[in-house]
Amino acid sequence: MAAVVKQAFVWMSFVAVMASFNQNRDSELTFLLPAGAAECFFQTAQRNGTLEVEYQVIAGAGMDVDFSIFSPQGFQLISEFRRSDGVHMLESTEYGDYRICFDNSFSRFSEKMVFFEIILESAANDDGPNDEWAGLADPENLLEYKLEDIRESIDSVHRQLERSRQMQTVLRAFEARDRNLLEDNLWRVSFWSCACLVVMVMVAITQVYTVRRLFDDRRRVRS
Amino acid sequence: MTVVASCVGVLLLFAWFTPSKALYFHIGETEKKCFIEEIPDETMVIGKYRTQLWDKQTGSFLPATPGLGMHVEIKDPDTKVILSRQYGSDGRFTFTSHTPGEHQICLHSNSTKMALFAGGKLRVHLDIQVGEHTNNYPEIAAKDKLTELQLRVRQLLDQVEQIQKEQNYQRYREERFRMTSESTNQRVLWWSIAQTVILIITAIWQMRHLKSFFEAKKLV
Repeated sequence: MAAVVKQAFVWMSFVAVMASFNQNRDSELTFLLPAGAAECFFQTAQRNGTLEVEYQVIAGAGMDVDFSIFSPQGFQLISEFRRSDGVHMLESTEYGDYRICFDNSFSRFSEKMVFFEIILESAANDDGPNDEWAGLADPENLLEYKLEDIRESIDSVHRQLERSRQMQTVLRAFEARDRNLLEDNLWRVSFWSCACLVVMVMVAITQVYTVRRLFDDRRRVRS
Repeated sequence: MTVVASCVGVLLLFAWFTPSKALYFHIGETEKKCFIEEIPDETMVIGKYRTQLWDKQTGSFLPATPGLGMHVEIKDPDTKVILSRQYGSDGRFTFTSHTPGEHQICLHSNSTKMALFAGGKLRVHLDIQVGEHTNNYPEIAAKDKLTELQLRVRQLLDQVEQIQKEQNYQRYREERFRMTSESTNQRVLWWSIAQTVILIITAIWQMRHLKSFFEAKKLV
C-alpha cells in the first residue's frame, strides 16, 4: 500500500516537472552565428494557432542574415535573404515542429549575433493562470459572480503586461544593435585615422628619398 | 487498488512522453552552443533543458541515457565564469545576475564516446526564463497564504516591477550609448584637425628639405 502510494507520488512529481516545462509559450534567445554556418531551431505548435516570430541581427559586419521557416512537412513557408530584422505571423494549420533557420553562409569572415523571439497563441483562449491555480485557496463564495469580473480584468491586465514586456525586449534588441554598430564605428574611425597618418608620413619620406636618389645617381653618371 | 494505481501510472507515463512545447535544437558531439541574455542586475534566471538521443531501432528520438550529460557554463558581462557545472541528461540551472549586462550561457555535451552519437545529433529542449517568470506562484501562495485573487495581483505587481527594472537598465544603457557617441564625434574632429596639421607640416618640411638639398648640390 505504502509502496503504491510512493510510486504514484513519484509519477506525480515527474508530471509536475513536465507540466512546469510545458507551460512555456514564449521563448526568446540571443545567440552567436559563426561565419559560414547555419542554425535551426524547432518549435512545436498546435493546430489552428498562431506563431509569431520576430528576429533582429544585433551585431556583425553586414548586420544581415538569411531567414526561413519550414512547416512540419518540410514546405518552406517563409524565406528572406540578407535582412537585418523581420516580423512574421504564421497560422499554424497543422500540429508539428516548425523549423526556424538562420543562415550566415554568404558571409566568409563575420559572425553575427542574432536575437529572435517566438510567441505562440493557441486557438482555445489562453487559459493563463486560471486553470493552474484553481482550487489553490478558499474562494470567497459570497462575492463569486463579481469575482469573475475582477478575475477577467486582472487576466486582461496580465496579458497586456506580457505584451509590454515583449515590446520592451524588442526595443532592447534594437538598442543593442545600435550600440554594437556604434562601437564598431568608433574602432574603425580610430584605426583608419592612425593608418592614414602612418601612410601619409611614409609617403612623404619616400617622396623625399626618391627625389634625392634621382639626383645622386645623375651626379655619378655625369662624372 | 494496485490496478488503479498502475493505470494512473501508465497514463502519467504517457504525459511524460508528450512532446514539450519548448524550443529545441540539435547539437553535435563536441559542439558548444552559446546563448546571450542581456539582463538588469539582481535578476534571477532559470534554465531547464531536456535531452533526447536518436534511436536507430525505433527511428525516433528517445530520452538520452543517464550517462550522457551536459556541461553548463555561465559567464557574466565581465567574462568571469559564475557557473560551470556538469548536469545529467535533464537538468535545471539557476543564477542571479549581480551586474547588469550581457550574460553568456554555454552548453556542450560531455560525451566522450563517439559511438554514442552514431545517429548524428543530440536533441536539446531548452527553456530559459528570466525575472518574474521564474517565480513559482503556487509556492508563494502557500508561503504567504494568499487567496487566488491576491496571488493574481501579486503576479501583476511582479510583472510591473520587472518592466520598471528593465526601463531603468535601458536608461543607464542609453546614457552610456550617448557618451560613446559623443566620444566618437570628438575623436573624429580631433583626428581630422591633427591630420590636416601634420599634412601641412610634412609638406613644408619636404619643400624646405628639397630646397636645401638642391642648393647643396648647386642645382639652384
